[in-house]
Amino acid sequence: MPRHRPIFWQLLACILFLSGMTLQGAEPPRAVIAKALITEDAEEQSKLVASLAGNTDPLIRDLLTAWKEGTLFIFEAPAGLAGFTEGEKLAVTLTGEKDGEEKQGALRVDTAEVLKDGEGKAIRLLESDLSAAETDSNLRVAMKGVLDVFALSAADSVSRLKVVTQIGLDQDPGLLAALRAREKIEPDAGVRRAIRQSLAQIELKNEDAAIRIGAVKELGAMGSISSQDALKELVRNATAGDGTEVAATAALKAIATHVKWVNFYGTFFRGLSGGSVLLVVAIGLAITFGLMGVINMAHGELIVVGAYTTYVVQCVFGPGLALSPFGMKIALPGLNATGAALDSYFLVALPLSFLMAAAVGLALERGIIRFLYRRPLESLLATWGVSLVLQQLFRSVFGSNNVQVYSPSWLSGNWTVFDVILGWNRVFVIGFAILIIMGTWAILNKTPLGLLIRAVMQNRAMASCVGVRTERVNMLTFGFGSGLAGLAGAFLSQLGNVGPLLGQDYIVSAFMTVVVGGVGSLAGTVISALGIGVVDQSLQQILLNPVLGKILVLAGIILFLQWRPAGIFVTKSRSLEG
Amino acid sequence: MKLRKFLATTILTGAALLTTSISSRAADDTVKVGVLHSLSGTMAISETSLRDVLLFTFDEINKAGGVLGKKIEPVVVDGASNWPLFAEKAKQLLDQDKVAVTFGCWTSVSRKSVLPVFEEKKGLLFYPVQYEGEEMSKNIIYTAEAVNQQATPAVDYELAQGKKKFYLLGSDYVYPQTTNLVLLEYLLSKGVPLENIGGGFKKDESGQIISAGKYTPFGHTDYQQIVAEIKQFAAGGKACVINTLNGDTNVPFFKEYAAAGLTAETCPVVSFSISEDEFRGLPAKQLVGQLGCWTYFQSINSPANKKFTTNFQSWLKNTDVTGIVKEGRVTCSPMVLSYDGVYLWKKAVEKAKSFDVDKVTAALEAGISFDGPGGLVTTQKNHHLTKNVYIGETKANGQFKILKTFNGVVGEPFLKGTFKAKTAK
Repeated sequence: MPRHRPIFWQLLACILFLSGMTLQGAEPPRAVIAKALITEDAEEQSKLVASLAGNTDPLIRDLLTAWKEGTLFIFEAPAGLAGFTEGEKLAVTLTGEKDGEEKQGALRVDTAEVLKDGEGKAIRLLESDLSAAETDSNLRVAMKGVLDVFALSAADSVSRLKVVTQIGLDQDPGLLAALRAREKIEPDAGVRRAIRQSLAQIELKNEDAAIRIGAVKELGAMGSISSQDALKELVRNATAGDGTEVAATAALKAIATHVKWVNFYGTFFRGLSGGSVLLVVAIGLAITFGLMGVINMAHGELIVVGAYTTYVVQCVFGPGLALSPFGMKIALPGLNATGAALDSYFLVALPLSFLMAAAVGLALERGIIRFLYRRPLESLLATWGVSLVLQQLFRSVFGSNNVQVYSPSWLSGNWTVFDVILGWNRVFVIGFAILIIMGTWAILNKTPLGLLIRAVMQNRAMASCVGVRTERVNMLTFGFGSGLAGLAGAFLSQLGNVGPLLGQDYIVSAFMTVVVGGVGSLAGTVISALGIGVVDQSLQQILLNPVLGKILVLAGIILFLQWRPAGIFVTKSRSLEG
Repeated sequence: MKLRKFLATTILTGAALLTTSISSRAADDTVKVGVLHSLSGTMAISETSLRDVLLFTFDEINKAGGVLGKKIEPVVVDGASNWPLFAEKAKQLLDQDKVAVTFGCWTSVSRKSVLPVFEEKKGLLFYPVQYEGEEMSKNIIYTAEAVNQQATPAVDYELAQGKKKFYLLGSDYVYPQTTNLVLLEYLLSKGVPLENIGGGFKKDESGQIISAGKYTPFGHTDYQQIVAEIKQFAAGGKACVINTLNGDTNVPFFKEYAAAGLTAETCPVVSFSISEDEFRGLPAKQLVGQLGCWTYFQSINSPANKKFTTNFQSWLKNTDVTGIVKEGRVTCSPMVLSYDGVYLWKKAVEKAKSFDVDKVTAALEAGISFDGPGGLVTTQKNHHLTKNVYIGETKANGQFKILKTFNGVVGEPFLKGTFKAKTAK
């Protein structure tokens, strides 16, 4: 031992020096946090943390965040540790690589120095042997007050908006000054509006009735949905005669009107997007069933082909894919892309799912349907059989569990306009539906192939007489309709489950949409899809019950078809009459 | 010719199999134990995991010498997600195979279907999956979580987090409906006003609430409207969602939830039907930070759990039972409660020194303890278990980080009407 003494004394002197420094003047944030970490008294702990408010040292943010996430640890000093009696607590963080025994080096929180034992050797610790510093809800509130000030000056407006909104909801008057200061320099209009709202929400707690009423009026004028709870509380607790109650009731009424409009526009938007999903699903069927008159019960499975294609493409962009259908081992190597490159998988998946489904559709047409063009009942049964076979095939290849399809980041956010949430995935599906409709219309009406398709569909015998190869046209038309189903599948993978039974969920609504629109009419399909979507969402909004709305829509459709059996648009075509 | 030859071989093999099973039945040094789960149909995804863990447990016990010196001989039957068939199969297990005990059922409706069979024929069933309570058969041991071992602790946790508003959402069947009614009473008793409970109510003619919360059918895919409603409900802060949606309807719900900008920070979702096993078919990324509440998590750091998970994985690797998925397997609460059930039964048999159902039941009622992977479990007189309850936060890898532990929660099946509503302050 004696030969180590110099180091020991040096260390001790160093520590004494440091602790001496901290005693003079304001304590550095490190020391305050370290002290708070080892304090037993919860109240004292919260006080120490709260005392850091207003300090803009980024170190505070890092340490408090680490504390909250449970990566700061309490270590009981072993015998012989310089400056500590045995068993005394000190706060540490673990750093560096884990060694063979999973141990890591330790840093003292108060000084950021490597923790060394009496012999000057770095102490290595096992995470599971230490107890993580805990937080209780009071402490977390104190931490939040300190951290919020940092978040107010965050670089991106989304996180600023988040923290500003939260401050308003917490109604912490301690943050008024920080908010006001931020309002002056805030460049983003949306965040500025949120700051004004939060300021008013905090002022709801002001002692002065005049300020309170001013805040209430401002919130009412803003139509602030998030203030409703606070305003209701104000009405409940109001002392009579100071006018707060009257103002708050009026504000609540104004907000309720605003909510009504938000719900109106919201329902309309949700109806459009719901209708667009139907449209995307039904457009392929509008061609194979509507134009060609083939009752293809396997249409749902063509959708699933598209969805699984998306899944496979996603896996190839990511970590790769290992499948074991029928005992074979198939391994697809992955590109291990990340970030934007990984997100772009969806753009590749769209055309591929069209092609895959079109290929399956062509095989189906060549193999089965072409023999059954004049026998609708047999084609119904045969394609139903095909759909069962395909379902089992999906199970054998991909398993009966659903697979996870990850949504690219540019499809998982939202815009909030006038308090209506416009999810990017929903906006995308509407745009996508418009594109598909325009594309289909252009192909049918502006291309030579479209001319041939229309000719064959209107009068097959005559078209054949004038030299149209009707067999080939049938094949291409069916392939095109099937490809559209594949596109729908790629899209549905962004909204819900991808599993072997996905097609079954949509096949009925697809047929329904086409029949209501009028078999053979593209415009009818569009109108019926959007109509069903909007009516369905409106009924959900009015009845507040998702099931009842669906039932009423179905009942409505039955009644409608009694009245107009041929659907909205009646197509006069010889092939359908025959 | 070929076909005939094929038929002949099949019949011969079948006959051979039949004789072997008959001959093994005659063995004296084994005890027959029934396994009654759906191995096909919609529930197969969840229930086959329980079959797997039961077979593993039997092997583990047999290796250690069996029960009362007898080896366990499992009789596995398939309920095929068909509820009347469950009753048929239960009859078969009790009449033909004369099993000493049965481990089985997942859905409440399958349990209700076999309950009269077990009562009439004096069988013994261990039921391992969280359920709605309001039931206590003398022939069933509920190792499952009762409502007060999952739903009410979760609400306690949220209340402690300062949550003031609760939105109830579930699939439309008996478990979510009953659980939410109990939760409604519980929330009111905790001073949460009715207007702070979201999802809507249904009342009968007398004004009594008969259904609380929002319900969607199985296979529902369009959660736009509901999420928009939650967004407005949660706009004022301090809100959370209590989610009893079942199975894959969680996927469109959570996708829509994330797209609407709702997060675990602004409005956490506590789910009661999503365990580690369900994560195999869910997009874990969209669920990060959301909460789960069970009496076991795979992430529990205890020697008993470490032993259980490693032994189960090595059993999976070496087993030759057909149809067992070997890759990417996890352990979850219903699996552990099945495992616990087998050991509790074993200990009860050893205490009673008999396989007789009445004697074993008496031993179980007197209180049998087992230090399982999820902590100590003890049987109670009311056929439920005292056990630990954990609240966990979902991580990106489909595991849970344990946030809070409630130790030794006593299972109470009858909760309706037990919480007296305090007047809201």
